[in-house]
Amino acid sequence: MSNEYAFRKIDIDALDEDALLPSDLVDPDPRGPDGALSDARARSTETRNLVSKGDIAGALTTILTDPPYGDGVDEAKNLTTSAVLLILNSTRANDIPNVIKGLDQEQQAHLMAYLYKNMSALGSGADIPGSVLLTWHEKLTEAAGVGCIVRVMTDRRTL
Amino acid sequence: MSAPEVFQLSLGPLTGVAFGPDRTQLAVSPNNNAAQIYSRGAQEWDLQTTLTEHDKLITAISWAPNTNRIVTCSQDRNAYVWTQLPTGEWKPALVLLRINRAATCVKWSPNEDKFAVGSGARAIAVCSFDEENNWWVSKHIKKPLRSTVLSIDWHPNNVLLAAGTTDAKAFVFSAFIKGIDAKPEPTVWGDRLPFNTICGEFKAPNGGWVHDVAFTPSGNILGFVSHDSAVNLVYPAGPGLPPQALITVRTPTLPYLSLSFTSEESLIAAGHDCQPTVFAVGQNGWEFSHSLDDPASSGSRGLTPTATGTRSVSGPGRLNNEAFNLFRQADTRGQTKPALAATSGAAAGMTPVGADGLLLTVHQNSITDVEPYEWSQTGEVAKVYTVGKDGRLVIWNVTGKPAGGLPGRMAGLQV
Repeated sequence: MSNEYAFRKIDIDALDEDALLPSDLVDPDPRGPDGALSDARARSTETRNLVSKGDIAGALTTILTDPPYGDGVDEAKNLTTSAVLLILNSTRANDIPNVIKGLDQEQQAHLMAYLYKNMSALGSGADIPGSVLLTWHEKLTEAAGVGCIVRVMTDRRTL
Repeated sequence: MSAPEVFQLSLGPLTGVAFGPDRTQLAVSPNNNAAQIYSRGAQEWDLQTTLTEHDKLITAISWAPNTNRIVTCSQDRNAYVWTQLPTGEWKPALVLLRINRAATCVKWSPNEDKFAVGSGARAIAVCSFDEENNWWVSKHIKKPLRSTVLSIDWHPNNVLLAAGTTDAKAFVFSAFIKGIDAKPEPTVWGDRLPFNTICGEFKAPNGGWVHDVAFTPSGNILGFVSHDSAVNLVYPAGPGLPPQALITVRTPTLPYLSLSFTSEESLIAAGHDCQPTVFAVGQNGWEFSHSLDDPASSGSRGLTPTATGTRSVSGPGRLNNEAFNLFRQADTRGQTKPALAATSGAAAGMTPVGADGLLLTVHQNSITDVEPYEWSQTGEVAKVYTVGKDGRLVIWNVTGKPAGGLPGRMAGLQV
């Protein structure tokens, strides 16, 4: 690249005293890192119990209510993500549409977010079944529409 | 409902659109630095004049219905007020905007004695005429804006101004200018209103850009559409109080880019799903009512566009056309014939696509603006117009509420 365009590499935000940072755009999880972690522990334990009893719908509702988000809560996020993955794996394909119907819009958006999160981890060595994720994604999009995907893409409160 | 009127004004997107006072004239910018003025012919719109003063893309146009003045704003950081000479020519007057980024939106106030310009410079310039110097001067609303202002709308009292920004917020400000505005009557938004008073700040639920803001005809409710596919309504409780209610309708469709209230209890939103949809107060509060452009009920494109240009089929720049589909089918499935319509079994909120790969909706690309076109005698909006990135202008009937299931729809049928 010639010098003519070198100015494009200048970080103009560094010269701006009032630059808008990504952290300004999103409020942190109100529970704080510790609160989010203990909450996530409790929920993931309860979820595992419900799954072993065969109550998939209840387990999914529990884990998708107030999931941890934002920075500094990685452990809580990992716990929740693996609990969601457990539910996804233990659901029979025929039951998926009914389970999805039982979720409210907020929970559907959270579920979509976890589907994408798990998809992004595909091939990283973790044991994630891609076909199961795709089945869930298909059923969820049928029910919640493309608007649900747009909300997940837009939301800066990353799960 | 009678069929909408469709006009192909340009091959590319229409970036700014405004109708003249009696709806026989139309100012549009075809995605460049010129504004074209058309007048209504028998079947189509005829180009009258072209206003060329801007250096860069015109982002918005507003036409004052009573004083017959046009204001254009552009990415060149300028705005011009155009007045018509007795000879019919339009004469520009520069506005001192004093902004260092592109102007994004402009709107005349209801009394037409001032206008507001939103910009990428984290500021709204409220402009009024300075008799002494014979030019337009501006006052800036800066705090607490921290990002580009995408849309503005005036409250009917000529003082309050709503704005939507890219940091997912909608604001209500006072744009009171001493010497022009009389002291306004107290409203639900506030009673003391010096310039730059913040009367409200609202956040989009999932943090999407706020694409458009609008007041209801009374000005007592604020609506905004955001990029998280939501339509939001704010009911203020009074000065300094948190709002009575902040209602969010999450839709299964792609996000809306524009909204317009047709009454206190209904609005029309349009955007990336290419069809204007009506939201209204139903039994459960605000909810989706119906689409003005229902491809399912109108059959396979019974709405034939009247093209003013040479092309009548589709706008350019779309990947989803017949040729593209043909090659895609050949590539992925070895088929040499176009695939059949894939309308059934599609996900909720998807815009239906016909057998030829064209959308079954009238607009073939995102709708960028929806505004009232005609009012009924009772003061409700009877017709709206939409413009889109497909270069089409469409005028829709909104009267009559066909949402009541089949009987309502059947009433519109002609046998």
